[in-house]
Amino acid sequence: MDTLERPRAATWAQTPLTARVVLQYEVEQFLYAEAALLDARRYRDWLGLVADDIEYWMPIRRTVTNSDLDREFTKPGEISFFDDDRLYLEMRVKKLEAGSAWSEDPPSRSRHFVSNVRILDVAGDEITLEACFHLYRSRLEADVDNWIGRRVDVLRRTGESFRIVKRHLFLDHTVIQSTNMSTIF
Amino acid sequence: MADGTHVAQGWDSASLKALFNPDTGWLDRRVLSDQGIYQLELERIFARGWNFMCHESQLKEPGEYLVSYIGEDQIIVVRDEDGQVNAMLNTCRHRGNALCRAEQGRAKSFVCSYHGWNYALDGRLIGVPGQSTFYHGDLDRSGLGLRRVRLESYLGFYFATLAEDAPSLHDYLGETGRAGVGMMCAHGEVEVVEGVQKNVIDCNWKIAVDNLFDWYHVPYSHASANSAGFFEIAKIQFPKNQMVMLGEYGHAIGGPGIPKETQDRIDLLSDEEREAMTRAGSPEAPRIRPRKATELMGEAGVRSQGHPNIFPNLWVTISGTQMCLRLPRGPSQTELWWFTLVPKGAQPEAKRQIVRRLNHVFGPAGLLEQDDGENWSQSTRAARGVASRQLGLNMQMGIGHDEVLTNDGGEHYIEGLIGEHGQRWLYRAWTEWMAARDWAELKANHSLPPTGAI
Repeated sequence: MDTLERPRAATWAQTPLTARVVLQYEVEQFLYAEAALLDARRYRDWLGLVADDIEYWMPIRRTVTNSDLDREFTKPGEISFFDDDRLYLEMRVKKLEAGSAWSEDPPSRSRHFVSNVRILDVAGDEITLEACFHLYRSRLEADVDNWIGRRVDVLRRTGESFRIVKRHLFLDHTVIQSTNMSTIF
Repeated sequence: MADGTHVAQGWDSASLKALFNPDTGWLDRRVLSDQGIYQLELERIFARGWNFMCHESQLKEPGEYLVSYIGEDQIIVVRDEDGQVNAMLNTCRHRGNALCRAEQGRAKSFVCSYHGWNYALDGRLIGVPGQSTFYHGDLDRSGLGLRRVRLESYLGFYFATLAEDAPSLHDYLGETGRAGVGMMCAHGEVEVVEGVQKNVIDCNWKIAVDNLFDWYHVPYSHASANSAGFFEIAKIQFPKNQMVMLGEYGHAIGGPGIPKETQDRIDLLSDEEREAMTRAGSPEAPRIRPRKATELMGEAGVRSQGHPNIFPNLWVTISGTQMCLRLPRGPSQTELWWFTLVPKGAQPEAKRQIVRRLNHVFGPAGLLEQDDGENWSQSTRAARGVASRQLGLNMQMGIGHDEVLTNDGGEHYIEGLIGEHGQRWLYRAWTEWMAARDWAELKANHSLPPTGAI
């Protein structure tokens, strides 16, 4: 998980270039539209893109030596920053909508950048991709947060669109330099 | 310890004592902003007190180490080849470089990346490149080991101090501190789950500590977590059944308490019956403690469902399943480290359930903690304003309305409504620590928990 993911399905690699370009386009457009919803604070609409069986997870990264890289990230079942299923994500959205989520009132100004999108695998109706993310958040007068990292998403095709089935977020930070992470990545 | 800074910084004992008035509950806001006060805190509170380092389960094998802090001093805590746990300053005796630059890991020895000085796991200097050539054999390695730091443990929790004249950890903790650590072991032995959440908040460390005694803020600050269905405030707060325990040297426990009549009924039950009662109750209610918990926590302490603070900066929370260190990073910045505990040898599925729930409470993305940081950072920021900082901070809630009870076990506790007794006890102790120039003065001039009206 902490090593670089490589395209692994022979079938995907052997798919004709034109079909790969089309899928790449569809996936990127979906990711950009999703990011735009979050930046527009349309959290309820964003939930509409989340599959019922979503696995939304951000492990802790540690500063370790080269000889200890197998322990750089915490593993599933250990402590993490996000460890959400759909119910927990719904709670986060309900919290944001509650009118008393003080850490987001006044609301943060956020910008979700997604780049370096590489489709790794297509299996049935599920697409595994890797991307880089940069989430910029500005709060109050001068509070600025930058969260940068790599993520592995699994999208499930549903008719004309996709649903997010998995989002594993691997930050490039160890000690989080932020008052909180009251936002959605 | 070298300690000649107080005069230069303009803070003598009397002016330090005047920063908080425990009789009125007014706190001078400069305690949140003044650089001189902060430097004194590093010397007189952090270097002098016993600071939490780690739990024994975090260092299982010989060679495993982690880096923790006493104030702003980095401390290597390592299990050596004999199984002994050692603590020493993470600074080379040659040019001061850090030996460990990873926050945790495994080592056979500590080799400095600057010139290659090599230290054993107990801190002895065992290798110096060029010792016979460039140093002409003149270098006395025996006096150049890493600076060892006093380390002691209680129930598997390791604490360190830079003060050679500090009392033993056991005596330092006293009844209240031991009840606080004991709370984590009330259901049996525990281990720390892999992964410590770390984040930085732009607040003074004390406002974070003061908040752990504060059950007044819960319904307001955390209203959105209640609305979201994460927890029901009414099932955890119990504003009329509060208990505050006061301990020597500033330790305190504050929060909901089980009324004595209820505990008397629990005392009649076997451990099996208590477990059945827990299962039948609300999933948010704390697990009912077994009989032997009274030995660890005392007769009053076992009734506490509140928050211990091991002075100065270790918060034990959620009935002992998590703890948070508040590490000072200047007057306006604090680093928070969250540790999560599970029963030792817990089955994977049981552990998974505990961890999943606790992953969502605290830490920077926690559904509760998200809303705390900005309150603290804005309170800290306001203390930098010349007019704002002349207004004190008010901690008068409950003054003169309660009584400190004591019992044969030497516990001192207050029962009643939500109030600010814990906060006042914290700042009262803080002024005493700050005014005392060494441990001898602190031992002679500190408040023992009172009895009677408070």
